[in-house]
Amino acid sequence: MKFDTIIIGGGLSGLVCGIRLVKAGRRCVIVSAGQSALHFSSGSFDLLNALPDGSPVECPLEALGQLALQAPEHPYVKLGVERMKALLAEVPAFFAGAGVAVEGQGVRNHYRMTPLGAWHPTWLTLKDFFCCGSPEGKLPWRKAAIFNIAGFLDFYAEFIAGDLKKRGVECSVHLFNMDALEHLRKNPSEMRSANIARVFEKQENLERLGEILRDEAGDAEVVLLPAVFGLERADALACLRRVANRKVMLLPTLPPSVPGIRTQLQLKKYFQDCGGVYMLGDTVMKAEVEDGHVVRVYSYNHGNIPFVADDVVLATGSFFSQGLIAEPGRVYEPVFGLDVKYPEEREQWFDLNFFNRQAYQSFGVETDGGFRGMRGGKVLDNLYVAGAVLGGFNAVKEGCGGGVSILTALAVAQQIMDKRKIG
Amino acid sequence: MNLQQHNISDNNFEQCIKCTVCTVYCPVAAVNPDFPGPKQAGPDGERLRLKRPDFYDEALKYCINCKRCEVACPSNVRIGDIIQSARIRYAKKKPKVRDILLANTDFVGTLSTPFAPVVNVALGLKPVKAAMDAVLKIDHRRMFPKYAFGTFEGWYKKQASRQAAFSKQVAYFHGCYVNYNNPQLGKDLVKVMNAAGYGVQLLEKEQCCGVALISNGLINQAKKQAQTNMASIRQAVLERKMPVIATSSTCTFTIRDEYPHLLQLENGDVREQVELATRFLYRLLAENKTKLRFRTDKKLKVAYHTPCHMEKLGWSYYTIELLKMIPGVEVQVLDSQCCGIAGTYGFKKENYEVSQQIGSRLFRQIEASGVDFVVSDCETCKWQIEMSTSKKCEHPISVLARMLED
Amino acid sequence: MGQNEVNKDFDVIIIGGGATGAGTARDCAKRGLRVLLLERFDIATGATGRNHGLLHSGARYAVTDGESAEECIKENMILRRIASHCVEETDGLFLTLPEDDIQYQGKFVEACQRAGIRAEVIDPKEALRMEPSANPALIGAVRVPDGAVDPFRLTASNIMDAKSHGAEVLTYHEVVEVLRSGSQVTGVKVFDHKTKATKSYYADVVVNAGGIWGHRLAEMAGVRVNMLPSKGALLIFGHRVNRMVLNRCRKPADADILVPGDTICLIGTTSSKVPFEEVDDMLVTSKEVDLLLREGEKLAPSLAQTRILRAYAGVRPLVASDDDPSGRSVSRGIVVLDHAVRDGLEGFVTITGGKLMTYRLMAEWTTDLVCKKLGVNATCTTAIEPLPGSRENAEEVNKKIISLPLPQRQSSIARHGDLAERLSHNTPVENSLVCECEEVSVGEVKYALNELDVNNLVDLRRRTRVGMGTCQGELCACRAAGVMSREGKYCTRRAKEDLASFLNERWKGMRPIAWGDTLRESEYMSWVYESVCGLNMSQKQSE
Repeated sequence: MKFDTIIIGGGLSGLVCGIRLVKAGRRCVIVSAGQSALHFSSGSFDLLNALPDGSPVECPLEALGQLALQAPEHPYVKLGVERMKALLAEVPAFFAGAGVAVEGQGVRNHYRMTPLGAWHPTWLTLKDFFCCGSPEGKLPWRKAAIFNIAGFLDFYAEFIAGDLKKRGVECSVHLFNMDALEHLRKNPSEMRSANIARVFEKQENLERLGEILRDEAGDAEVVLLPAVFGLERADALACLRRVANRKVMLLPTLPPSVPGIRTQLQLKKYFQDCGGVYMLGDTVMKAEVEDGHVVRVYSYNHGNIPFVADDVVLATGSFFSQGLIAEPGRVYEPVFGLDVKYPEEREQWFDLNFFNRQAYQSFGVETDGGFRGMRGGKVLDNLYVAGAVLGGFNAVKEGCGGGVSILTALAVAQQIMDKRKIG
Repeated sequence: MNLQQHNISDNNFEQCIKCTVCTVYCPVAAVNPDFPGPKQAGPDGERLRLKRPDFYDEALKYCINCKRCEVACPSNVRIGDIIQSARIRYAKKKPKVRDILLANTDFVGTLSTPFAPVVNVALGLKPVKAAMDAVLKIDHRRMFPKYAFGTFEGWYKKQASRQAAFSKQVAYFHGCYVNYNNPQLGKDLVKVMNAAGYGVQLLEKEQCCGVALISNGLINQAKKQAQTNMASIRQAVLERKMPVIATSSTCTFTIRDEYPHLLQLENGDVREQVELATRFLYRLLAENKTKLRFRTDKKLKVAYHTPCHMEKLGWSYYTIELLKMIPGVEVQVLDSQCCGIAGTYGFKKENYEVSQQIGSRLFRQIEASGVDFVVSDCETCKWQIEMSTSKKCEHPISVLARMLED
Repeated sequence: MGQNEVNKDFDVIIIGGGATGAGTARDCAKRGLRVLLLERFDIATGATGRNHGLLHSGARYAVTDGESAEECIKENMILRRIASHCVEETDGLFLTLPEDDIQYQGKFVEACQRAGIRAEVIDPKEALRMEPSANPALIGAVRVPDGAVDPFRLTASNIMDAKSHGAEVLTYHEVVEVLRSGSQVTGVKVFDHKTKATKSYYADVVVNAGGIWGHRLAEMAGVRVNMLPSKGALLIFGHRVNRMVLNRCRKPADADILVPGDTICLIGTTSSKVPFEEVDDMLVTSKEVDLLLREGEKLAPSLAQTRILRAYAGVRPLVASDDDPSGRSVSRGIVVLDHAVRDGLEGFVTITGGKLMTYRLMAEWTTDLVCKKLGVNATCTTAIEPLPGSRENAEEVNKKIISLPLPQRQSSIARHGDLAERLSHNTPVENSLVCECEEVSVGEVKYALNELDVNNLVDLRRRTRVGMGTCQGELCACRAAGVMSREGKYCTRRAKEDLASFLNERWKGMRPIAWGDTLRESEYMSWVYESVCGLNMSQKQSE
């Protein structure tokens, strides 16, 4: 199978890179071993929330100087301030093109509310999600009504109410039920966000809920709901707002994440509509490298029919997605055996406290300044690495997972286009 | 020392890290609350069943074995296999007469084909349907695939000498459907392969691949038939040096993957040599080893439906690329989703509603597509689509045959 | 912090909510005494909850310690009767591997017979058929009546019965002072961790059932009990690899027992001396993990491909013999110390040594002594009367809750025996699963919250197995905290603190074996709780 670019990994990073390239006219295939971490998304993408030493960041671009001192291997440091700025400027149009409506900008973080009612700094938030400019101070609402589905265990209206009250918002908590949900409830484990969302794909159910909101929200100016709407339809919230006749906003739930799934579906569809080939449920098993150049890539499903391409992008994610694999004594990248930096002594991979910075979360593939992977210190000239499989950053502690995935993917795409003199 | 990463055998279920992705993509759990869902029925349940077999829940029978959970799983957990293996190991309920009848696609076929006109009329008659519904619990709303008058094997006998004349040969696993219901597809396959420069041979002995036997719990019989098929495939591949091709995505998937995973029949020595005709042709064409000449006077607009087992094989790419090679054919790829029939599942009265609900989104997409007809690699998807939409459904090989230059 | 005197008098105060303390409380209460049980944390937090959960047949001790072996087999048979819902009758195999001396087998069987333990030599092929996970290289096997026992359930059930006989049980009450009047112990001063208040309680007799912490309690009373803390590390595997308990047929050594317990199996133990300062915070080292794996794979080779859920360690309360001033020789079996006789201190009794298996016998002997001191003449019935949960057979209970989905029904009967019918399961919402790995429903959580003295998520885990499955809390911890908060168990701020603390407790056991899928699970857990939910250190620190 002959393509211009093969992208290994179909999550956020792989899709962003793929879309950028197909739009520039490259023939791309994405091979994805199962669904991606977007399925656990909060509905927001973080750019940079804190420095490695723990000090909070409000304006990510201004913190890059400090970041370079504290984490010289950080992907952002490799990008450099100027490239970061240029790429950040591309992002809004990129998402708009794919039909993913987001709010926020890279100059200053805004704050989203978590399912546990905490305020978390972030960069981009999907439209319709509950967020604000500052984690403290007055909010623009006097009264909020928080609704949850009776028996839905992955959303915590009480936790959310607790924090809103602290910020001077009067809160009422409502549980609702509908006949259409009873069906789902017969199954003790499947009252999950995505299954509930399927119920609300139906117009009649959505309208019925709108009526419940209208009738029960009283004089609350804003209604807050768990994000269980719009698995496939983008107009679900608009419909609710119309019937309920007031502002309706969403808060993330525990996995699976409906907004994350929708984003995945939208990006994938956009990629395919632009001519990309997306192969789900296949694992790249091995690659043939000749003279520092990736020549062929073999997958499980395609067996003896290899993928051949000018460029290869590795966007396989971290441990979760098996882009990295840890054994008792070693950490490795399983497709190409790329260089990965980690301390030999296993006990140094971890901190005793779950909530402290965990060293293993910064492990990842080493690259040159142009994000090309290396083996034994030697660069593979057509293998680019993007997203969570990269080393040198801690997505959880630094709050930079979304940013690294999106920006390195765009950077890699740009690099390929420059090399091939296109776009 | 520790081999967790190579954990591909019995403990595969432990690779599940409870991310819940599978539950999003299960077509059954979405419409049938009696099915515990892939996570509960699969890896979670397996752990409990290993504690004590009486944790086995008969509700696992609602799994349609579409493997879409496996395709979605980011942890390589063979969820569908776990569920089907549990049914094989623990199910206590004996298959009903109806299930045995539905499962024995070749036996019923053998009985029906000589009397095809009678059987077809009978199966279409209201009283017969009502009786089957009441007595056998085969849903009366279900349209039966028509039986052909005369089998593909019967037709082939007259072609054998002509086929032998080709210097290059392939063996063809035609499956029950081609043999009894749609010999035309087999004839089309022969036509296309001949045009590509290959003669077509039958296997020494072919029996039903056994997919319906497995799903209906008739494991011993499935094993026996699988052994017969494997012996014939080995003879073709290893002795006669012929690759084995098939037109049914489900038969192909069953032989390649279900034999080793569910029936514990190792096939590693020949597995790579059993493939779909579309993949075989794609490779020939991609490597410039053959050329097909198509007519240019005809325009067609088709929609490709990816059958579940095709999705699992990951091979729809080959079919779609082949269709795109034909001048004048415009291919629209439908969202990959289950049509709901799942072999014999949709025929059972108790599953009819669920089956149609699963497929409803696909049906809507097909109706809205404005295509001339639908293309798919699976015979049961064809029945379901033709019964549930206004469109006909063709096999890609038949499309190729139809568009070949005479 | 306030201090208030409590006037209510008790006949006996028992310190320690392990199996021994709970068993003693039950026995004393059944014999009509007014009982107060004090536990500094939750029940079964010490050595009781940190061992194999092996229902010893006694075979392991037959060659080296015949007396212990006899005690074990007797108690084994008693527990099968009185605690049937805590026990699984799996039987066990003692395997002789090629590296072991087959001569030992004869000696072993003979010693078992002497102790009254049924020991049957099995042909190696037959042994493999009975237990397919056993090392196929085995050259000998002996079948014995080993089994599995769930220490949490056992302790909880004893507590429940003690309470139903009038005992008062206070968890999260830590003894900070043993009160004396001259040479007579009169009571204890306790710190209530929940209200942060200090209170005093008085009784005629105080029983020190503090396990390894009994050393410190004795010091508080002004007497010396010489204990030798011995750390034992274990590994929990993701599922049941073996149906029967597997032992090595040789002199007891490290990592030579593999026990199937509930949904998992565990290998243990190591054995190393540790200083007293460390007994409250046992960490399992890489060396210990490697040793356990290396030895475990010899019993059941498939352990090499089995996911490890966690590693943990307990401290055995070994007691130095009174007749050895050097403190080096360890006392065998059960040690009941009447400090009046031994040290001239009235009203103070220490019960220690022994093992989980003999908790009931230890309780019986202790209660006998307490009764004697109080001049009460009552006979022990704990060997005859079944514990709550074990009074009806499983089939009967099954019929009563037949409307529940099958896996849920099986799981709740396994956990609660005949009390399963008391779980709230009237509505579909109550049947919803909180913990999907272990099939814990909202109804079961509610039952535990209302009837089983649950104060936090870790307590809930001990009662229900929430968070003990493959995901180690990743999916269920948040749901459980939500239910607890909704049920008014605590405020939302406390709920978040508790959640953070629970996740940290789970991580403690995952960290030593965090590679492969366990590391993937941990990373996922970090994403969900730290990134998506925004749970952080400050919640933890504010504890």
